[in-house]
Amino acid sequence: RDTAVALVFYYFAVDCFFAQGLRPGVPAESPAMVFATPTKVVSEAGSTVEYLGTNRVPDLQRLFQTSDGVPIHLKRGVPDKLLYRTTMALTIGGALYCLVALYFAAQPNKK
Amino acid sequence: MAHQAHAYHMVDPSPWPLTGAIAALLMTSGLAVWFHFHSTTLMILGTILLLLTMFQWWRDVVREGTFQGHHTPPVQKGLRYGMILFITSEVFFFLGFFWAFYHSSLAPTPELGGCWPPTGITTLDPFEVPLLNTAVLLASGVTVTWAHHSIMEGERKQAIQSLALTIALGFYFTFLQAMEYYEAPFTIADGVYGSTFFVATGFHGLHVIIGSMFLAVCLLRQIHFHFTSEHHFGFEAAAWYWHFVDVVWLFLYISIYWWGS
Repeated sequence: RDTAVALVFYYFAVDCFFAQGLRPGVPAESPAMVFATPTKVVSEAGSTVEYLGTNRVPDLQRLFQTSDGVPIHLKRGVPDKLLYRTTMALTIGGALYCLVALYFAAQPNKK
Repeated sequence: MAHQAHAYHMVDPSPWPLTGAIAALLMTSGLAVWFHFHSTTLMILGTILLLLTMFQWWRDVVREGTFQGHHTPPVQKGLRYGMILFITSEVFFFLGFFWAFYHSSLAPTPELGGCWPPTGITTLDPFEVPLLNTAVLLASGVTVTWAHHSIMEGERKQAIQSLALTIALGFYFTFLQAMEYYEAPFTIADGVYGSTFFVATGFHGLHVIIGSMFLAVCLLRQIHFHFTSEHHFGFEAAAWYWHFVDVVWLFLYISIYWWGS
């Protein structure tokens, strides 16, 4: 399968050369491209083959179940704190901006 | 260390209800400011705040359920009731727009030419793209059921593939509908036909997008091993919502596209 993919890219590359009318001053042959180590057939690899990553849930369970009294929305530490502070800043700032905008909107039209 | 002597979930104090409420205030006032003063700042600010609230609130629900184990059977039962009630409220929301459509189309006024479709309206052929859209959504109903069975049977790869296919079908529907909107020979301003058509199908399209996003979050969670074969309520809720969206389309297709053409 990887050979097929490599071949497709090779033909595409060569096609581009000639479609654009380029004189092949550089050899048209591309080096053998390797996209991945040879894939195992699932039946050979056994039941422990990974599909899209490993299971990190047990680690996360340990992290979120530590008894440190930190509320759930801050329990991951710095990224949570940053996002919370940004949201709260927008909340308070936005509420004040809204009140000011409504105050001006409520003024009668001077005509 | 104190432990609770019951199976229910006493939630940690959370700022998200407040930020959500302020977001609603900003979005609605922002809408009024946009209409009268041509400035979209307040409305956009409200929308950003809404997105931040949704992301963090639901992130916390995932943390509480999957990582802290708070979603015991009685808690899950409450979540099920909640989702069912929410979908029921959405049914009533759409019922209103169907009422409006039937009110106008069953007794067309003289201003429309006394007929439905009204004089001058070229309707869309129900057997072209709308029929394809029907097939796409029905197929997505099949693939989401396939995904559910895959999750229940512990088939990780199949679950990921069928869920991804469901989402792809959802995006395909949205793309086709967007094309139809662009090419339509009538607009929302074309009398009551245009109003009922675009408001009903427009809100439906919005719900397809929401449903696709919900399913996409489920796909990410499935990839990250959040769901077990016994416990995957987030996915079930998304699947219920998706079936609801499918059924609304069937009613829209029969009423507005087919009978109404």
